[in-house]
Order: sequence, then C-alpha cells, then structure tokens
Amino acid sequence: MDVELFWQAVPVLLKGLKITAILTFLSVLIGFNLGLGLALMRLSSNRFVSGFAKGYSTVFRGTPLLVQIFLLYYGLGQLSFIKDNAALWWVISDGARCAVLALALNTAAYTSEILRGGLMSVPAGLVEAAQACGMSRALRFRRIEFPLAIRQALPAYGNELILTVKGTSLASTITVLEVTGYAKRLMSQTYAVFEIFAIAGVLYLATNLVLITLIRGLERHLTRYQAR
Amino acid sequence: MKLMVFSLLAFLAAGVSSSVASEGELSIGTEGAYPPWSMADAAGNVTGFDADVGALLCAKLDKKCHFVVQAFDGLIPALKAKRFDVIISGMSITADRKKEINFSVGYAELANMFVAPKDSDLVGIKDIDTLLKTLDGKKVGVQSGTTHAHFLEKRVPGADLRTYDTLDQMQIDLATGRIDTAFADLSALQDFLAKPDGQNFQLVDVKIQSTFDPSLGEGIGVGIAQDNTALKADIDKALCELVADGSIGKASEKWFKMDISLPCH
Repeated sequence: MDVELFWQAVPVLLKGLKITAILTFLSVLIGFNLGLGLALMRLSSNRFVSGFAKGYSTVFRGTPLLVQIFLLYYGLGQLSFIKDNAALWWVISDGARCAVLALALNTAAYTSEILRGGLMSVPAGLVEAAQACGMSRALRFRRIEFPLAIRQALPAYGNELILTVKGTSLASTITVLEVTGYAKRLMSQTYAVFEIFAIAGVLYLATNLVLITLIRGLERHLTRYQAR
Repeated sequence: MKLMVFSLLAFLAAGVSSSVASEGELSIGTEGAYPPWSMADAAGNVTGFDADVGALLCAKLDKKCHFVVQAFDGLIPALKAKRFDVIISGMSITADRKKEINFSVGYAELANMFVAPKDSDLVGIKDIDTLLKTLDGKKVGVQSGTTHAHFLEKRVPGADLRTYDTLDQMQIDLATGRIDTAFADLSALQDFLAKPDGQNFQLVDVKIQSTFDPSLGEGIGVGIAQDNTALKADIDKALCELVADGSIGKASEKWFKMDISLPCH
C-alpha cells in the first residue's frame, strides 16, 4: 500500500466520517422517538391506530432503503406542491436532510417492532400490581413497562443502530459526501479502489465497534442486578 | 471443410490486399452507425461529419478515398490487421488507445460547457476566467469519474461540487433547482435542453476545451497504424491546414449546428 495515498485519503475520509456520524445521530434521535410512538400505537386497543402502525412498519420494512431515499429525493423533488411549500422544500431540496428523513423513517419502523417485542414481554402481573398500587398509566409506563421493555429490547436495538450506520452509506447516492461519498470521489481521482475502500471499511468498523461497546456497557449497567 | 477454411482464408487475404490502398489511394475505416458522425446506407455510402472530414482530407492529400464500414469496437483490431489505412470515426484520443495505435493531431472536440437557468448570473459570462471565478460557492453538478469532474476539482476548488452516477440524475437535480449549474459535454447538454425540463435553461456561452486544460482529453483524432509514420506526418499537416482555413469548422456546423473544430497546438 502506498503510504502517500494513505495520508491523502485518511483526512478526506475522516471529514466524511463526521457527516456519517451526524447523519446517524440525527436519524437515530428522530427514529427512536418515532419508533417508540409507533410501538405504543401498535399496542393500542383502537384498531385504526394499531392498524396504521402496522401498515407503516410493513411498508418501511418491506421496501429497500435505497428505494425510499430515491423516492424522497428524486421523486418528491419533482412534485410542484412540495416545491411551493417552504418547509417541505427545505427538507427535500437538500441531500443530507433527505437522507436523515429517509433513515429516520426507516429505522423508526424497525425500532417500533423491537420495542413492541420488549413491551409485550413485560409480565402482565407486574403491570397489574402497579395498577393495584394506584399508579397512573403514564407513571406505570415510566416506572415499570418502559424500563423492563428496554432491557429486553437493547440487544436487538444495538443491531438496528449498526444497520443505521451502514445505511448512511446510501446517502452518497444523493450527492451527500459522507465516508462512501468521499471514497467514491477519491476512487475516481486515484483509481486505487482497494486501498480507498479498505480504509472506508475500517472507519465504518471502528464506528460500529464504539457503538457495540457503548450498548454492551449500557446493557451491563441495566442488568447489574442479575447474577452472572 | 478444409477446403472451405482454406478458401475463406484466401478470401480474407484477398480482402486484405484489395483494401489496403495502393499509392494514391486511402482506405478509411468508419463505424457507419453513429449519427451525426458516421452514417452508412445499405449501398455502403457513408455520410456524416466523419465522411466530410475524410473527403476533405483526401482532397488535401490528393488521394482517392473509399470507406470501409466496420463496428466501432473492431476498428482498432482491423486497422492493426491492415484492413484499411486510417480510422475516421469520431474516435477520442485516449491513453489506452494510444497503446494500440497512433493518432493524428486532434481535429475536433465537442465543447465542454455549463448550463444554467436563464435568470442565473452565469448566463451572459463570455470568458473562462470570469466564469470559473463566479462558480465559487455555487452548487455545480457533474458526472462522477469523468474528465469534467476532475477538471472542476482541480480548477474550481471553491465550488460546491455535486457528483452524480448518471447524467439523468444530474438533469433531474438541475431541473428541480438543487444545483445552480451543470458541466458536461455539448451533446449531453443539448439532450437536456431539448427536453421539457430544459426549457428554462440555456448554455453559458464559454467553450472549455483541451487547449485550455489538457485534462479534458485530447479531442477526436484520425487513427493511424503505429508503423505508418510517414502517413501520420502527412495527415497531421493536412488536418492542421484544414482546421486553420475553416473547412473542418464549416463541415461541423453542418452536422452539429456549431463549430467543433480543434485548432492545432
């Protein structure tokens, strides 16, 4: 491997890593809250509300992220009512904002399924006991259901975080210069495909290792009462 | 069977010997299916810009010419096998092809140009330096991996460069207003301007050619066998004269509606 090429590529790709991190952070922030809402909707006894959440999760899990990104960016960009609406156009006109929106909507669908599984695993007896103590619905959710559900859901949610980090690479198809975007540009300048993408791969791997470590730490912290 | 193979070889050999030009003749290989460069009809008559360049060249060299129509990817092997003397088929001079055959000087080049909305401040700029300076901070679309992308990365580092996998995607973003301008070769831009989406756009009247920056390619040249150095010298001289006196420019106006001739340098 060419050492000079290495020093040329790494600073550029690190610039891209910053964008990758921002894309991941924002889409996870939006996606987690949206996913939590959808999971609660899914468990609602109102058939319309739970049906909407189920339909949402089916559509977004059943179509490729790349297709969703293209629909939002190239598809919606051609509709005149989007262009006439300043707020919508602010989101759709920019590749990075479109990517955050697509990633957030996508990860929300998976998150809702993961959290739904967690919430369903909470033993009914515990909820009834809290009810018997006179806890309100919100208090019950905050003190009993959510803390128990998140312990169940955390390993699967860690997986989803990793998938979101890797999903950000698709933003390069809509002109966003994150790690993959810069790697593609460097490739056409230097033709050193192997070296450039090897470095890009290492950067993704390092990011995900950090995330995995954080999630494991959180898991250990939350389940510290369990004897191991 | 053996006889058939033998007769086929004999036929091929005869074909080779008959198509290699004797003194005073020049045989030209061309694709014949690439309008408006080279179009061949059923009778084998070739028209188009390549045909006109061939005719001009032959008149200048005082030789009798005839065309041999051959698929584009087979042109270079056929030239090496002496099926004809030269290739005139809108062939760009590239480093890879130069390993196989020689090229004359470049005689034509489709201009590289910017396209922008009609109300853009880019429209109306007439010289390259002002144009490149005005591009600073603008969102400029370009196809990734092309000579155009390399040119912009090098010459206009201050531009917000947006690279696209395909020209179609670039055209969509141009039409929706996500980018301020796009840089490509003329045929691609004319394709866009002819579409409904392109109605509110126009070309920025600055042609950027390889004479300004060699990284943009070396233009279209006549392909000549590597061992035929005498012919290359004759053709170079003739092409330079034909470009200088405007004959090639005039021929290109007929086919491309603009002068695509490339001055000798």
